[in-house]
Amino acid sequence: MEKFRVLIVDDEIDFVETIVKRLKDRGLDAVGATGGKEALELMEHKDFDVAVLDVKMPGMDGIETLREMKKRKPLMEVIMLTGHGSVESGIQGLQLGAYNYVMKPVPLNDLLKQMTQAYERKLIEEGRER
Amino acid sequence: MAKRLNSRFFPYIPSVLVLASAVLTGVFSEPWQAVVLLVIAGIAYINAKGTVKTIDKAEEACRTLNEQLCRAEKLSTVDELSAGIAHEINNPLGIIAQETQWIKHVFKSKSLQKLKEIEDCADSLNQICMQVDRCKEIVHKLLSLARELEPVIQCLDLNELVSQMTNIVKKEMEERNIKILMNLETNLPLVYSDPPLLRQVVLNLLINAAHAIERDGEICVSTMAVSPQSVKVIVMDTGCGIPKEHVDKVFTPFFSTKKQGKGTGLGLAICRGIIERLGGNISVVSEFGKSTAFTIHLPINRIPQGDILHGS
Repeated sequence: MEKFRVLIVDDEIDFVETIVKRLKDRGLDAVGATGGKEALELMEHKDFDVAVLDVKMPGMDGIETLREMKKRKPLMEVIMLTGHGSVESGIQGLQLGAYNYVMKPVPLNDLLKQMTQAYERKLIEEGRER
Repeated sequence: MAKRLNSRFFPYIPSVLVLASAVLTGVFSEPWQAVVLLVIAGIAYINAKGTVKTIDKAEEACRTLNEQLCRAEKLSTVDELSAGIAHEINNPLGIIAQETQWIKHVFKSKSLQKLKEIEDCADSLNQICMQVDRCKEIVHKLLSLARELEPVIQCLDLNELVSQMTNIVKKEMEERNIKILMNLETNLPLVYSDPPLLRQVVLNLLINAAHAIERDGEICVSTMAVSPQSVKVIVMDTGCGIPKEHVDKVFTPFFSTKKQGKGTGLGLAICRGIIERLGGNISVVSEFGKSTAFTIHLPINRIPQGDILHGS
């Protein structure tokens, strides 16, 4: 698989650590953040291809973070992750340009598939801008 | 109207004339000649019927084309207008939001906090912020309606997409005793389309279906292959239905039957915009008080439709 850059954002540190480790194991360039603010800061210094973003986080929530992310890096694809699907945030997320809205728990392989498709989309859009 | 009648009447004249001569021949001349003439009259009649049918069909096609043209023109005007309004309103909205934030900040100063009335003012400010957010949301939706977004085409499994979106609403539906039935065609071909845009449409339709039911009912989601070139998705609900006089308007921007402040009336307009950009079409059939079914037809390989709508 092609190595692309992913940013995992979730307030559960354990979840972030595990998933980052497993994604690195699969050959991805993965970085974790435990909140929206931290994620946005990381984005200042590094370009990411795909972000996986938890919807429900204390402080800056997923939707707010998504909005900021899309403002700063419109081409970065974002996959929203949610514990219990909220219809409201689901449609909001998609309208704000999220690539997908996925229910937790999601098997790593499924998430990987989603991320690969999101990355593929980013490549297409980048190709168009050039 | 007179013209309509004429064009349907003339083709029958030959058969009528032959029939008349058949009768005359029968009365005044040989019966076998009359029979031959009768047969000819029959053939002429069938021919005339065919002609009238063809005329009907042609007129029908002409009418639908005209309607489509009207709608395309209207759409592009709505597109331009809404984009214009949205941009113009966005800037003042931004300034209002900024100034409110500033006042909020000023209110935090110690000398002002002693004042009793300041709490009232803070409440008002919060209300202003909320309403500004609401306006921003509408503007955002308008922009996404008008945005000439060029779809990004990827290969996708429609059944998987539909199931994912259904999963999102499942829990809330269970709480309201709404059953979701899935009727997905197992051999559905993969479709080349824009996944996130389609997700938005499907989720929107599911949410609408749930709104129509409120409590206790069923939503049925089906997918099926229509032809080697196209597939369809149907979202059917046993909800309140749409009154006849409203059926034509449900896709019109800002048309809403929901209470003021709930729903912007843009959801279905956005859905139609998306589906048409993907080269498909969306339609609705409803029985008031009983059920509503939205059907999305999608090409398996996207046919660019933007060219037709925008005339470029």
